[in-house]
Amino acid sequence: MRRLSLVQRVGLLAAGVAALVGILFVAALLAILSLRKAETRESHSKDVTVATLQVKALSADLESALRGYVLSGNPRFLDLYAAARARVPGDVGNLHTLVHNDPPQRVRAENAAAELHAYVVDYAQNVIVIARISREVAAGQAASTDGKRRIDEINSTLQGLLAAENRRAKLASEHARDVANVAVGIGIAAIIISSALVGLFGAWVARGVARPVRRVAAAAADVAAGDLAVRLEPGGTAEVGALVTAFNSMTGSLEVSRHQLLDQNEQLREGERHKRDLISMVSHELRTPLAAVLGFTALLLERDFPPDEQRRYLEIIDSQARRLAGLAGDFLDVKLLAGGDLTLVRTPFDLVELVREQTELFFLQPASHRLSLDVPGQPLVVDGDRDRLSQVVGNLLSNAIKYSPEDGEVRVSVRSEGAEAVVAVSDDGIGISAEDAPRVFEKFFRAPDAASTVGGTGLGLAVAADIVASHEGTLEVSSTPGAGSTFVLTLPLVVVRAAVGAEQDAVTRS
Amino acid sequence: MTTELVDDRPRVLVVDDEAPLRELIVVTLGDEFQCEEVSDGEAALAQLRKSPPDVVFLDVMLPGLGGIDVLREIRADPALRDVGVVVVSAWQAQEDIDVALENGADSFLPKPFLVEDVLTAAHELVGRRR
Repeated sequence: MRRLSLVQRVGLLAAGVAALVGILFVAALLAILSLRKAETRESHSKDVTVATLQVKALSADLESALRGYVLSGNPRFLDLYAAARARVPGDVGNLHTLVHNDPPQRVRAENAAAELHAYVVDYAQNVIVIARISREVAAGQAASTDGKRRIDEINSTLQGLLAAENRRAKLASEHARDVANVAVGIGIAAIIISSALVGLFGAWVARGVARPVRRVAAAAADVAAGDLAVRLEPGGTAEVGALVTAFNSMTGSLEVSRHQLLDQNEQLREGERHKRDLISMVSHELRTPLAAVLGFTALLLERDFPPDEQRRYLEIIDSQARRLAGLAGDFLDVKLLAGGDLTLVRTPFDLVELVREQTELFFLQPASHRLSLDVPGQPLVVDGDRDRLSQVVGNLLSNAIKYSPEDGEVRVSVRSEGAEAVVAVSDDGIGISAEDAPRVFEKFFRAPDAASTVGGTGLGLAVAADIVASHEGTLEVSSTPGAGSTFVLTLPLVVVRAAVGAEQDAVTRS
Repeated sequence: MTTELVDDRPRVLVVDDEAPLRELIVVTLGDEFQCEEVSDGEAALAQLRKSPPDVVFLDVMLPGLGGIDVLREIRADPALRDVGVVVVSAWQAQEDIDVALENGADSFLPKPFLVEDVLTAAHELVGRRR
């Protein structure tokens, strides 16, 4: 069953109370109308009674005037009789008018009028005529029971009319009282039912509000205590349902926000850790060449060495100082790359010659590693920034030396493959795990094994990859952990036509 | 005459993967000591076991077996118990120093180091040993 909303509950309550008040009002109205009707009826009955008594008095006046004249012969009684008789049409008409809407009473009134008429016409007139001739005969006539009988008849008819009227009035007033009693009963019942209704509905509404509110309050307390996983059971009235839905979506979004904040926090912390690692790594990277420079400088200043040794130490100082300069250059390059400010000065040059130069630099005798160099006899010309590409090749060579055991072999080869020049540098070093391999070109990435044992900023390959990419070339790595790595650099050859041209020149010249 | 043939100068083993730094320590110690050099942890242990020196200058960051691992091996080996160990490191936060000392280093030498500190450390350890 669908639960009613609070608004619906309150509306239902209002409607119920309004209906009961309406019933109360109608009952009161009916009682009032009934009482008023009874009152009208009573006053009408009073009028009818008065009119009836008048007719009764009239008949008595007629009889007493007639008897007076017959007994006394005094004509003054005839005047009284005439006066009474003149009142007959008015009084009888009055009574008739009052009861003409009431068939049984009208019949009685008409009977009384007919009897009165009969008394006047059939009896009284005759008695007067006889009395004028003989008062004795008339007296006998008058004394006879006929007159008395007629008057009694009229009186009885009128008495019946009065009795009926009294009955009517009594009945009407009793009915009015009954109606009023019923109305009072209905009113009391309506008041009791309304009170009960208000009470029950109030409890119903309160139940629909208080319980869910308590539930929400308890859940809110949980949320305040930090438990954002709190969810309320859906249900309750429409308003409570909406509250529950809103509450759940609030805790839901709070939870999501908290997760996001925690994630962001974690990222910030990660970044902070990264920065700290970077700073300590940079300082470490700087310390080793610095130690050599400072140490040999101090020795040269403090002690006397033969010239050849002096020269050797100066060379070490020079190479270590260059190493420092190289580190500074790496950081500058990263800054330039990050800002997109790395500008290339491109000229066509021989890549074979560049590789030769670099290997000579890195495998200066006495060298720590053995070099195996495999290059073609003829030049492979590429179009690019010679200094930057020297940096790339130098980085590959220094890595091969750095990450492989002393006296290991470093194999360097240059060849052309279709429209590309390919430079490969292989070593027998510690290698790179498959999962770390794609990351070695990321800025500041150091494979965990390498980071713990070999110094480095994690910048060289990132810078190299960027330089190669801006020459439309590729730089890839393949490696077997523990067995060595091979870095392969490819650059587009722009020399094909120039080489052909050179050959043609040679042909022409010969 | 036999005494002249036997070299009784204190013996020092320098372990560092950076050739210039090995050379710097060797040159600094000069003629008073007889020095040997190796460039990684495995070679260091092999050399140590072959003929234990008086003092080892041990770099922490070595390819393969690290300096602290070598230090632990030295301290675990009764034959090498008396070898004086100077840990040399560019990592010189307090925790790096603590790790070295807790694992039995006799001395900690941060890079870059002063010439006299190298000599002092070597003399001290040799003097204690002899």
